[in-house]
Amino acid sequence: MTSSAKLLRKMVLEMACDGGNANLQSVFSSIDIIDVLYEKILHISPYDADSPQRDYFVLSKGQATMGLLAKLAGRGFFPEEELRTACRLDSRISMQADRTKLPGVEISAGSLGHGFPIAVGIAWGNKLAGRCSNVYVLAGDGEMNEGTMWEAALFAASEKLHHLVLIIDDNSSLQAMLDVGDLGEKLKAFGFDVKYVDGHQEEALLHTLQGLSGERPHAVIAKTVRGYGARTLMTDNTWFHRAPTKEELKSLQEEVDRFDEEKLSI
Amino acid sequence: MRKAMKSSVLRMLQNHKNTMLILIDIGAFGFRQSMGEYPDQIKNIGIFEPGTISIAAGLAISGIVPTVYGISPFIVQRSLEQLKLNFVYQKVGGNFITTGASYDFSELGYSHYCPEDVDTLKTLPGMEIIVPGTPKQFETLFAECCMNGHPSYFRMTDYGGKADIPVSFGKAAVIKKGAKATVIAFAEMLDAVMEATMDLDVTILYYTTAEPFDKETLRNHIAGGKIFICSPFYEGTFAHDIALAVKGAHVKSDELAVPRNVIRSYGTKPEKDQCFGLTSVNIRNRLMALIH
Repeated sequence: MTSSAKLLRKMVLEMACDGGNANLQSVFSSIDIIDVLYEKILHISPYDADSPQRDYFVLSKGQATMGLLAKLAGRGFFPEEELRTACRLDSRISMQADRTKLPGVEISAGSLGHGFPIAVGIAWGNKLAGRCSNVYVLAGDGEMNEGTMWEAALFAASEKLHHLVLIIDDNSSLQAMLDVGDLGEKLKAFGFDVKYVDGHQEEALLHTLQGLSGERPHAVIAKTVRGYGARTLMTDNTWFHRAPTKEELKSLQEEVDRFDEEKLSI
Repeated sequence: MRKAMKSSVLRMLQNHKNTMLILIDIGAFGFRQSMGEYPDQIKNIGIFEPGTISIAAGLAISGIVPTVYGISPFIVQRSLEQLKLNFVYQKVGGNFITTGASYDFSELGYSHYCPEDVDTLKTLPGMEIIVPGTPKQFETLFAECCMNGHPSYFRMTDYGGKADIPVSFGKAAVIKKGAKATVIAFAEMLDAVMEATMDLDVTILYYTTAEPFDKETLRNHIAGGKIFICSPFYEGTFAHDIALAVKGAHVKSDELAVPRNVIRSYGTKPEKDQCFGLTSVNIRNRLMALIH
């Protein structure tokens, strides 16, 4: 795990502790992808957050919002101290983001099945305007149960939106619900260029995302593990929706620090 | 009204290159020639309304003003969450034009009727709801609102009225002033109201903007402490608005509108109006009862 991804996880644990609520397993499965995108892929900064030429990152899987907000704060879109106000009545920070409150947040997420179709509209608008900026979307595998995801996929392929990259955080949620089968094969049949990658390996993610080419929209199926980065979050599913106490915070942050040494034993 | 809609939309496309018309496979015949003239601005997207509304919101975020044209229930009800979360919550603008009105497609059954469109959309704060009664009024209101940066719903009807009263967005028109009662007419109901009240000493207010509802004009024109509402929508659609407008006043009221029932009948649109009592004769009878 990179030092950047470790730091991000520890920031999210603090947010969750301060806010008293979180979807930590979902955040941790997505966080390496978010980290790589903002560190190495996206052409966007706090100084050009409203530029029509910017790359877009659309978080369709809203449960990973705390990871995105920690990353945006780390990149200077707003002060890091503000993360400590998570979930308060008048805060700009919470478990799902509101684009009208924070710079760098492209869409207000929450309900699943909305972000990807909106991203398709953004990519289509960019294409019509002759802009080459890329639109990256992070969706969950469970979100692929939503019909609107497939409506949007049909349209994206029909319009050949090749600046669109749908990254699916495949943390095996579909195993617990309607299993739509082989996501990659389905997306290929819909007209997508499909790649597979380990969603926790920075180099592999980078190599895959930088190597995308061709006239079709792209889907990158990133295999991930819920709670990846802290032993307790990976092995205890009650952490799907709960926040750490102050005592648990310290212990979980230590788990993040020593994760590389102990992950083989998990 | 469809012709007025077409010319209004084409004017917008011509004058504003950052606009688009998206057809949900409705109007594809009417716009077939225009599609060749505006290949990048008109798209028949097909039939997937929820995804289409989300995609339109994405266009809006990218800087394009989208106008989506479809059938009332499939935009208002099938895509309600998309209107709420992708337009209202994201705070972006766009236009939604519908055909079908309350039961214009009178032979197609309950799936194609939508007398609840206004009531439903009134649950979305910030959604503008525009209900022109004539083609000219559609042109005026569309030109006024289509680029205003808000989500705007335009309800078309194929049974528009003849009384071409000048209108403007957000304002009720005062058709005449009287002493016995105030009659509020919405959209295509105005002709029947005017016929019913020709010789009566009543005030007539005409509304072509259903949201935001012009409370001030009503508050300033309550005649005889009596209000009679005539609307082609589900009954009670404006109960909240009127309660706020008349707050503090002693008012008796009655309403003629579409009953809140599952409509299983077919026939013609005028036949349905007759069944529901939305006629000038019935308006007059009910109004006289309220006055006396």
